[in-house]
Amino acid sequence: MNNMNLSRGNLLLEFFSEEIPARMQLNSERQLENLFTKSLTQRNMAFESFKTYSGPRHLSIVIKNIELEQKDQKIERKGPRFDANQKAIDGFLKSNNLNLNETIIKETKNGKFYFHSQIIKGQNINEILPDIIDEIVNGFIWPKSQRWANTDLKWARPLRNIVLLVNDNPVKGKVRIGKDVFLNFTNFTFSHRHNDKKIIINKIENYEKLLEDHNVILDRNKRSHKIINDTSNLLDKEKLKLLIDKSLLEEVVGLVEFPNVLIGSISKKFMKLPREVLSTTMRVHQKYFSITNKEDNLESKFLFVANSIKNKKRDIRVIKGNERVLKARLSDANYFFENDISNRFENWNEKLKDVLFYEGLGSLHDKTIRMANMSNIFAKAFGVKSELAKQATLLSKADLVSEMVTEFPELQGIMGGHYAKIKNKSEEVSKAIYDHYKPKGVSDDLPETKLGSLLSMLDKIDTLVGFFTIGKKPTGSKDPFALRRNGFSIVQILVNLKLNISLNEVTNPPLKEHVCSSKSIKISLINFMIDKLKFVLSNQYNRIDVVDSVLNAKIVNDLPINLISSRVESISKFTKNNDFKIFLSNFKRINNILKSEKFSNDTELQVNIKIFETIEEKNIYNHMNSFSIVMEEKGFCVKSQDVLIKSLIKMNQSISLFFDNVIVNHEHDNIRINRLILLKNFHNLMLKFSSFDFIED
Amino acid sequence: MYENNSFQKIITNLQSFWIDQGCVLLQPYDSEVGAGTFHPATVLRVLGPDPIWKAAYVQPCRRPTDGRYGENPNRLQHYYQFQVIIQPSPEDIQNLYLESLNFIGLNPKDHDIRFVEDDWESPTLGASGLGWEIWCDGMEISQFTYFQQVGGFDVKPVASEITYGLERLAMFIQKIENVYDLDWDGVAKNMGGKTYGDIFLQQEKEFSKYNFEKSDTCSLFKQFSDAETECKNLLNDKKNPLALPAYHQCIKASHIFNLLDARGVISVSERQSYILRVRNMARSSCLAWMGKLNE
Repeated sequence: MNNMNLSRGNLLLEFFSEEIPARMQLNSERQLENLFTKSLTQRNMAFESFKTYSGPRHLSIVIKNIELEQKDQKIERKGPRFDANQKAIDGFLKSNNLNLNETIIKETKNGKFYFHSQIIKGQNINEILPDIIDEIVNGFIWPKSQRWANTDLKWARPLRNIVLLVNDNPVKGKVRIGKDVFLNFTNFTFSHRHNDKKIIINKIENYEKLLEDHNVILDRNKRSHKIINDTSNLLDKEKLKLLIDKSLLEEVVGLVEFPNVLIGSISKKFMKLPREVLSTTMRVHQKYFSITNKEDNLESKFLFVANSIKNKKRDIRVIKGNERVLKARLSDANYFFENDISNRFENWNEKLKDVLFYEGLGSLHDKTIRMANMSNIFAKAFGVKSELAKQATLLSKADLVSEMVTEFPELQGIMGGHYAKIKNKSEEVSKAIYDHYKPKGVSDDLPETKLGSLLSMLDKIDTLVGFFTIGKKPTGSKDPFALRRNGFSIVQILVNLKLNISLNEVTNPPLKEHVCSSKSIKISLINFMIDKLKFVLSNQYNRIDVVDSVLNAKIVNDLPINLISSRVESISKFTKNNDFKIFLSNFKRINNILKSEKFSNDTELQVNIKIFETIEEKNIYNHMNSFSIVMEEKGFCVKSQDVLIKSLIKMNQSISLFFDNVIVNHEHDNIRINRLILLKNFHNLMLKFSSFDFIED
Repeated sequence: MYENNSFQKIITNLQSFWIDQGCVLLQPYDSEVGAGTFHPATVLRVLGPDPIWKAAYVQPCRRPTDGRYGENPNRLQHYYQFQVIIQPSPEDIQNLYLESLNFIGLNPKDHDIRFVEDDWESPTLGASGLGWEIWCDGMEISQFTYFQQVGGFDVKPVASEITYGLERLAMFIQKIENVYDLDWDGVAKNMGGKTYGDIFLQQEKEFSKYNFEKSDTCSLFKQFSDAETECKNLLNDKKNPLALPAYHQCIKASHIFNLLDARGVISVSERQSYILRVRNMARSSCLAWMGKLNE
């Protein structure tokens, strides 16, 4: 901004509180900026830019070149018409507490009116700020918040101090945080606890530097970079790597004011534990990072971030302390592991009988039985041995009652896989159990093996259908059982494995297992699945219109998933073909005629070939019959979809000639209707392949 | 200030530190509890009638499922907490806590102290609060909670609760890895000095066996119902309810539930209903304590 003058300056606001949970900090920065800028905009106060900071205790915003004086505001009130009756004029004067001479008469496009205008004097920012701070403090929404002592105000953790400076000068004022409880604005904040100092801020431009000198890095990106840089300084020379974990990094950034990256050792005797156990114990309980070597194996070392400046003596002490804690944690994990491997799958399965899956859906044991019953039906489609599939389903949930998974629920499946292997179950079954919670989201990998995919699908389809049958399908934004994600995962497996299995075939067995014969549940289930299929296919082929056209084909529920995919792929490919474009426009023309004739009778009416008057009618009829035969022969053949489209295109000429030379609206009703029936039959036949009207030109 | 860091010295140091902060020094509640919070000096007192209440006490705690037959160096089914409850929560409570660490020989400036989010909830007490677990060099040594609700009622003014895990803290200060090696009294072995193991190892072994294998579950189920009935009866006379004895029954029922849980005889679906039954006892006892049973 060029025309800067004395009426502008910088502002600093800092909320100093007890340690705010790491997960809330970033969002609190955004809220602070939104609430503050909103309050300023409402008051017509301009500013140039701002920067926000957040950490465990300091949450702040610096606003650059903010207007220090509010502009005067002119408020104009419109009164009655100039020639209105006296009662109306008096009413206007009275309600605004005015004399007639305080009004003016102004011409508008609707005539002359009384007006009263008033100048509201702009205020100085120091007068406005207490109100603004009050709005911000009371406008804040924390995911979880608390009162403290005698406050009514809720904050994530007790708010202890508010710094407010304008042009480096303290602003007088306070905010009310409870009955007779106030927080005064100050010009000081606090250092890292190791320094334990009250710091007076004399210059806003020194704020960041001043705090860094007292071991508080305000900027979370700076803290993050320091962690990353210090980490590579420590690891690179030994050719080691961190097991990347962005959410852990973000959390750690919120736990420290001055990051100090340190490395500790793991006692060798624990390295025989599965790596997931090691890294989960470290991450969940201790917020440690795992370290891997060149071969991607876990090193017997861990990396953690202390909240301190470097100090050799202290660092050694802190490392020793953390090593001791980890040792205790891993002893615990080891204890669970040893107990688990001396336990038996049979015992666990027995225990599963007492673990409720969900009210109305039986125990977890019941769930595995349902999965086992279905495994036989699906094994062939997945190309796996049905004995293996059955064995995998019956072992799949046992680990849920193992000690390790009770302690670390996120290790479900993973531990089951390890234990199955240790207990000499086949490699395939172990791997399948290990993988069967995948894919956990749209971007997650599928299970590595077909058996794993089958197990995952069985688990998920049982859950999905089960909840549908007890009336718990997702509605609006509510999806407490994550059924949508579940549906996506099922469809991802079906599509990626190119399975020769239709939606009917996928949903019938679980409906039977859940003893459900309701038509409406089946319909809503199929629609739900089609919706997920639409999303997954659109992602894959990038043509939502083509996907829609295929999914709206007749009997789509009976079409194998691999066929649907290949049809979408073929049509997408042909959308650039000129002949296909002609076919499309012909199809749409027929569609429109049928629509405008309101000829929507769905039953297939017989065409009467005896009353054909033209060769064009006959040609279409013949083409139609031969296409019908091709459809019969090759409609379900995944590799023939291109061929089918080509034979569609071959009809172009006869359709065009029909439109050129034949008038549908024949004077004789029987001929007119016969022609419509011909078109309708043609249309119906096309719909068996794809609902082409969805495809955009 | 600390002269030695024996287990008992840590306790007496904590006691004198918090006495100096104006706390009444209480003794443990004389019934089995799962946590120091259960002491009526915390649960009932924060609901009134005094707007100011400061208390500190040691509380032995029992968590039957944590028993490890004396074989795990960190887990015990019986252990000690040091509990500080101050209402209203003071402005400098975090600093007071850090000073108390210094007072028992743990200078916060020599360590990496962290306040890590930990929201506390006790379903059986209908109580909840926000706070932290406090880490010292990665070890959780204390819990810190701002009480928001107890028995389902708002705590006003808000109280701050500090719970020191005494064994963990002492292990940290004495730099040892096995709880049974803790120096209890600061007296040399050859002079008859005692370790934690000398005093408690046998108890851990026997009670683990009792908790997991030998308790009479039929009798326990009956005791639970008896406690529940007695709690109700004690509150029957709505004008003159006996809040403290009723709450005593609630505490008993809660421990019996934990014992049954350790035997694995409460199924997942029953579990919730047992918790609810204890919560109802806690809630009506709290109501009686506040003189609001009639409302």
